[in-house]
Parts: sequence; structure tokens; C-alpha cells
Amino acid sequence: MEGGKNTITVEVAYALPHKQQIIAIDVEQGTTAMEAVVRSGIVNEFPEIDLATAKMGIFGQALGVKGLKSPQEQVLESGDRVEIYRPLKSDPKEARRRRAAKNDAEKD
Amino acid sequence: MLELITENAVVTALVALGFLALVFGALLGFASVRFKVEGDPIVDQLDALLPQTQCGQCGYPGCRPYAEQIAQGDEINKCPPGGQATVEAIAQLMGVDAPELDTGGAESAEVTRVAYIREDECIGCTKCIQACPMDAILGAAKQMHTVISDECTGCDLCVEPCPVDCIDMIPIPTTVQNWTWEKPASNSNIIATDKQPAHQAA
Repeated sequence: MEGGKNTITVEVAYALPHKQQIIAIDVEQGTTAMEAVVRSGIVNEFPEIDLATAKMGIFGQALGVKGLKSPQEQVLESGDRVEIYRPLKSDPKEARRRRAAKNDAEKD
Repeated sequence: MLELITENAVVTALVALGFLALVFGALLGFASVRFKVEGDPIVDQLDALLPQTQCGQCGYPGCRPYAEQIAQGDEINKCPPGGQATVEAIAQLMGVDAPELDTGGAESAEVTRVAYIREDECIGCTKCIQACPMDAILGAAKQMHTVISDECTGCDLCVEPCPVDCIDMIPIPTTVQNWTWEKPASNSNIIATDKQPAHQAA
């Protein structure tokens, strides 16, 4: 391990419907979310991840929005789980319209 | 000195109230030492045996409240995430016979189930993530939510909050990776010589 002391343990996670992986790694203090993701090598496991565009977050809180720093800047704390997200499959508004139409059809 | 106290009403009040505060403070301090209630050590031991998923399937709002109820004589078989192994561990601690696991009328506890999100319908609302006691759902607002099967205890708590009902509880298929030998039944007569008397008696 580089540095030896002042290391923290964090997790990097990615999930597909039928395959999920959480990789625990030790990194030195001051490591950012993006560095941890690169270091974990999760991209080797899931080649479809595009680190440049993929949204990331920590425990369900997406980084880079709501005043949070971007993955390149967010410094991790011990025990953090960096999550790599996938976009929604269907537009929520469109999905709602579909559900409403289906309910109407059932009513008639 | 005494004159000053008796003549000045404000000072009199201050002295009187201060004296009363001292008396009652001393009384409370004495009572807290004299009548100290020891915590129930059996509750701590029971709590340590429970899986700490805080799923509420036992009907109590968490593992520790259930441990307290067991200590007061509640049934010990109400913990589906813990499974039969937990029931037996608790039975050993309490010195009683282990009953069958009570799954509350759900399908057999032998079939482990995990939550599964139908992705076409997920709207990324994070309600299931907030409900999950195990942090087993990966996702954020307006991002796809996915259940991490290995972390899911099958507690059902995410199914109810989903506004679009897109979470199913599916049984985990037995694969080469997770197949195990059946656990030996505790009362089976697997030793041939033990079977003989039963045969003769019958």
C-alpha cells in the first residue's frame, strides 16, 4: 500500500439488474471519488461504464448537483460507497402518461 | 449578615430558593444511586444474536425492541432474515426448544427472495432507497435504481413505498455458485442402529 498510514477504506459499486459488484479498496486520505473509481478497476469488470459521462454519487446522493462537488473534486471519507449510476430507461413523465392511459383503459 | 438577609426581600428569596435547590438536588442524586435500575443483560445478548437488519418483520420497530419483547416472553421465531439458525441460537440462549420459523404466512422461508426492480417502470424517486435498512439499493434521484442482490435480505420494506409498484420479490434460483448441502435435520435417525428400536416399537 502506498504511503502506509492514513489510509481509509471505501467502496466502489456498480449494478446491473442481474450483476452487481461492490469493490472495497484502501485509499489514502484526500482521495477523490473519481480517483477511487479509477483505482478500483471496476471498469475492467463492466466495460460499458464511461467514466467521462457516467453520473456518480455517494450513498444515493448524486455528486455534482445540489451544491455537492463533482466526482473529480469530492474528497472521500472513510466508509463512503461511491456509486456509479445508470440513466433511467424511460422518461418519468412519459411513464406516468402511459400508466394514466392504462388506468383509463381499464376503467372503461 | 443575618440582618441583611432578613431585611432585603430579594436576598431572602435567593437564599431560600438556593437552599431548596440544594436539598432537592441532593435528594435526586441520592435516589439515582440508591434506586439504580440495572439494564437487562439478556436483552443485550438477544440483540447480539438478531441480524440487525431493523426490518420490522417481527412486528416491532427494530431488532432491539424485538429482543426486549423476547426477554418478556414473546415468541422467538419471528425473525425471517435471521432464519432458522437465529431461532436455534435464541432457543439455546433462552434454554427452550427451537420452534419452526414463523414467516407470517409468506411463502416458505426455505426459498430466499430478493427484491428486483423492473427497470422500464422505475422513475428514480429514491423512496425505496430511503426505506432499505441494508443500503442494498444503488441509485440516486432521477437515476436508475438497482437492487444489489447479495446485500438484500428480502425484508419487503422497499415494496410498499414504491409509487409505481415496480419492485417484485423474486426467489433466488439455485445456481452452482450458491448451492449448498441441505442442513441435517436435528431429529433424523441417520445412524442405522438408532433406527432399530423405532422399528421394533412400531
